Parts: sequence; C-alpha cells; structure tokens
Amino acid sequence: MARTTMMALLRRGTPKIPRCLPSILPRFLHSHATSFGFKQVQEDEKSKLVGGVFSSVASSYDLMNDMMSAGLHRLWKDRLVSKLHPFPGMKHLDVAGGTGDVAFRVLESITSVSDRALQEGLSGIEDETKIFVCDINPNMLNVGKKRAVEKGLGEDCSLHWVEGDAEALSFADGSMDGYTIAFGIRNVTHIEKVLSEAYRVLKRGGRFLCLELSHVELPVFKQIYDYYSFSIIPAMGEFLAGDRDSYQYLVESIRRFPNQETFARMILDAGFQKVEYENLVGGVVAIHSGLKL
Amino acid sequence: MLKSSPAARRLLAGIVSSRRIGSPFSLLQLSTAAFDPASNPSTHQDQPPALPTPETSRSRENDGEAHRRSTGKREGVSYQEEQARVLRAALSHVPRLGWSETAMILGAKDAGISPSIVGSFPRKEAALVEFFMDDCLQKLIDRIDSDMELDKLILSDRLSKLTRTRLEMQAPYISKWPQALSIQAQPANLPTSFKQRAVMIDEIWHAARDQGSDVDWYVKRTVLGGIYSTSEVYMLTDHSPGFRDTWNFLEHRIKDAFDLQKTIQEATYLAEAVGAGLGNSMQGFMKRMFQK
Repeated sequence: MARTTMMALLRRGTPKIPRCLPSILPRFLHSHATSFGFKQVQEDEKSKLVGGVFSSVASSYDLMNDMMSAGLHRLWKDRLVSKLHPFPGMKHLDVAGGTGDVAFRVLESITSVSDRALQEGLSGIEDETKIFVCDINPNMLNVGKKRAVEKGLGEDCSLHWVEGDAEALSFADGSMDGYTIAFGIRNVTHIEKVLSEAYRVLKRGGRFLCLELSHVELPVFKQIYDYYSFSIIPAMGEFLAGDRDSYQYLVESIRRFPNQETFARMILDAGFQKVEYENLVGGVVAIHSGLKL
Repeated sequence: MLKSSPAARRLLAGIVSSRRIGSPFSLLQLSTAAFDPASNPSTHQDQPPALPTPETSRSRENDGEAHRRSTGKREGVSYQEEQARVLRAALSHVPRLGWSETAMILGAKDAGISPSIVGSFPRKEAALVEFFMDDCLQKLIDRIDSDMELDKLILSDRLSKLTRTRLEMQAPYISKWPQALSIQAQPANLPTSFKQRAVMIDEIWHAARDQGSDVDWYVKRTVLGGIYSTSEVYMLTDHSPGFRDTWNFLEHRIKDAFDLQKTIQEATYLAEAVGAGLGNSMQGFMKRMFQK
C-alpha cells in the first residue's frame, strides 16, 4: 500500500523531489522504517522528531493555523464537533488535541445544549460529562491549559488534561462515548495501532471521528493547492514562527498520508462500521467517521 | 396495475426502509464541492469518487468488496439492526418527550448502547419518524394478510376499514403527532416522507383489491392520499371517545369521493349523449344543405 502511494507520488511529479528516496522500497514499510515527511527514518526516531517539531511550534501553533488556513480551521473544527453531536453526560476523548480547540468546542456545545429541553429530559440521569484531552507533548498541553484559563474554563472539572501516547492509551476498554483526533493522525508512527486503540477505548455505539488534511483531486484546484503548500507555507513558517523545516515537514506529511479511500479502508479494518468521509474545501480537509458496535 | 403477492410487497417495503436508515455498504462517500460558511454544506450519497488514480481505484474495487463483506459478517450484528433497536426503544419515550433527540438518547440508553450513536443518524428526528412510519406500514401489511373479513365488504367499506386501521396506529402518539407532521414537512425530509406515504396508499389500494379500471391509477392514489391526510389532520383535534368523529369523517369523505366519481361518470354519459344528439342534428343539417 505504501509502495503504491510512493509510485503514485512519483508519477504525479510533485514539485519538491524527496531528498533521499531509496529506489527499492522494503515491501512492508511499516515494519522497520517509516516516513517523516518525504524522508525515511527509523520508527523510534519518528516520534522523537515529531516531538521536536511540536515543541518548537507549540507557542505559535494557533497563530500559524490561522494564517495557513485563513481562519478556516475554526469552521472545520466546528463541523467536526457538530458531526460528533455531543450530549450531556458524555465521556469524550480528544487525542492529539494539545491546545484544546476541539475539547473546548465539545464542552461549549454540551453546556449550551443543556440549557434547552435536553436538560429536562435527561435530568434524571446522573452521568457527569468528562472530556479528556490527550497529547504526547507536554508543551502543547500547557498551552491548552493556559487557554482554558483564559476562556474561563480553568475551574471546570469536566476537562482533564492527560499526557499520553495515541498508540498506547491509558484508558480502560469501552470507557469512551466519543473519540476525536484532529490534525493528529498524520503524525503518528503506526496509524493502525492508533485506530485499534481507538476501537478499544470506545463503548458500543461510540463514534470515531478524524479530521485531517487530505488529498485534493480536482484538476485546477490541485495545482493551486500544491503551489500554496510547497512555496507559500514554508515561507510563512519561516517568517512568522522562524521555523521553515517544521512547516516543510507539515506539507510533506500531508502528501504521504493515505488518501480518503485508503484511510477509510484502514478504519474499516480496525473493526468500525458505517465508515464514511466528508470532503471539505474540495478535499483539502476530510472528516472520516466510524461507528463501533 | 399488476397484482403482486403480499410476500413480494413486504420484501420491497423492507428493502426501501433498510436503504433509508443507512447504506447496506459499509463505505459511503459524502463530498462537498466547497465549504461555504454562510450555508450548510450539502452532502451527496452514493457518488463515485472524484478522479481516483487508476491503480488505486482498481485495487480498491477488488479489495473493497471483500473487505466490506468480511467486516460485515465478522461483527455478526450490523449497525442497521442496532440503529433500529435504538429507534424502537426511543418510541416508548416519544409520548412524553416528543420526536426529539432526547427521546433517542434515552432510547439508546435503554438499548444498552452509548448515546453517541444518535450522532450517526443523518437527520436525527426525521430518522425516528421515518422508522415509525415504516413500522406502521409493516404492521398494516401484517394486518391485511391476517384479516379474512375484507373480502366480504364492498369497496368503499374496505378502504375505510384499512385507512382506519392505519390511523389507529398513530393514536398512542397523537399528542405529539403535529410535531411529527412538521418534521416530515421539512424540505430535507419531504422526499422520504412523500415516498413512504405513497407506498402506504398503494398498499391500501392493493389490499382493497379494486377490480375496476374506470378511473386512472394516479387519480385513485391521489384521492385516497388526500382523504388520508385530511383524516389525519382531523384526528389531531378530535377528542371524542375512540376517535369516533374521525371515523365518521373518514367514511363520509370516502362516500363523497365515490359519489363524485359517479357524478363524473354520469356527466360524461350526458356529454356523450348531447354530443351524439348534436352530431345527428348537424349531420341532418349538412345533408339538407348539400342536397339543396
């Protein structure tokens, strides 16, 4: 599967030719080597390198998100949370959600909804809403905690900040109603492990939602998007955050990530049912969803 | 209109309802052309993927089918069944909470499933209403099959009895039925609700075993559909015991329709007779003209 993706990339003639590209790829790429952008690195190295990237971008993460997506990332996250359809008493896990964007939206959706008739109907139920934000990088979590305090949610006992690895979650089996991962699954070493962990922690009836930058296939828009990704974004990263390499990694990792159909099949393989995806902005971003039963 | 066996019709009704809740296939694509913040993004079902590369699409075709089939069987319980269970459990909460997401959440809790599943229904409350309509149709078909007395009645009585049977199924939810009607009337839900009603009216006409072919097939369905809808609305404000007034109303409307049909028939005959008479006198007149 990785081989075909690589071949497809070469055929498309991406503007930036990978720096070191072995001509003969190992058959099962994920066993010993993995991709870090367009570089091939050892598996144990990848998480260190990703850690390095996010430690350096943590402080300007939100600013760069706004600049790169022209503020659209807010709407994408709104759409993700509205698809999730949170309810009071929910146990939700947001993975790789360090700065808390999705978690805040989920919390706000629940507290606003409970002002309405929903509260009357569910008043007999004593379930407490709990939203867990899990991130492997403590710097991102600190930024998130600070933002929570700024928003006035610092004292809210529904939010829990947990440091952990998406491939080995510390939560019990079948303990979560919802699982979201927004712009995080691209950075993990083993996507299949993350998906099976997600399957493990979800309850029966729980939903998995993944918001991720994905592949654009529309003819003219694709060229514009490629130019924007490879020429403008690293330059922006250098200018605003003083870090060209991290943003070069970012755009390369988008191209290396499986496309919508392949990723949907991976979600199916992990055991989820009713796997669907929705393209936003012509495929720049895709929301995949699955149901555990 | 050819007569189909009850079993075949039930199968068709089953297929129609199962497609609605969710696609039989695990992989379903929704794609939006552009995300416009001002309006809701529209989602399209069952569209082919936009320009996949030839190699991936071919491999997808072969593997995808196998994957879809294998994961479906491995689980043993499909998501459509679970969704149906949740909706059925939710129906018991409807008289108190209305056709709302709250009822669905409580239904999910009753069924022992996480209420997150409510998020997976495409049009939340509409899914509950549509499930109820399908359920009523199933029950109606069962009642038709088990009822031996239908043949003894005349056509208008048969129609009246069947429509009454169907309307009685809504009686437990009558306090919240106006909400269900408003949900069905929403533009997004209108196509499905219209189709469900059309299938139901067709079912009633089939069961009535109408042998006459004097009036058009569409006219029959439209007229009965109109009678059904007006009786349904009448029932909303009927407080008589056992909805007695509604049944009277229904019988009168059916009788009116048959009377109207007789009137139209007689008018047609009259027009033919007048035409024939006029034609004769015209012929006589022309003959005399040309003879001269």
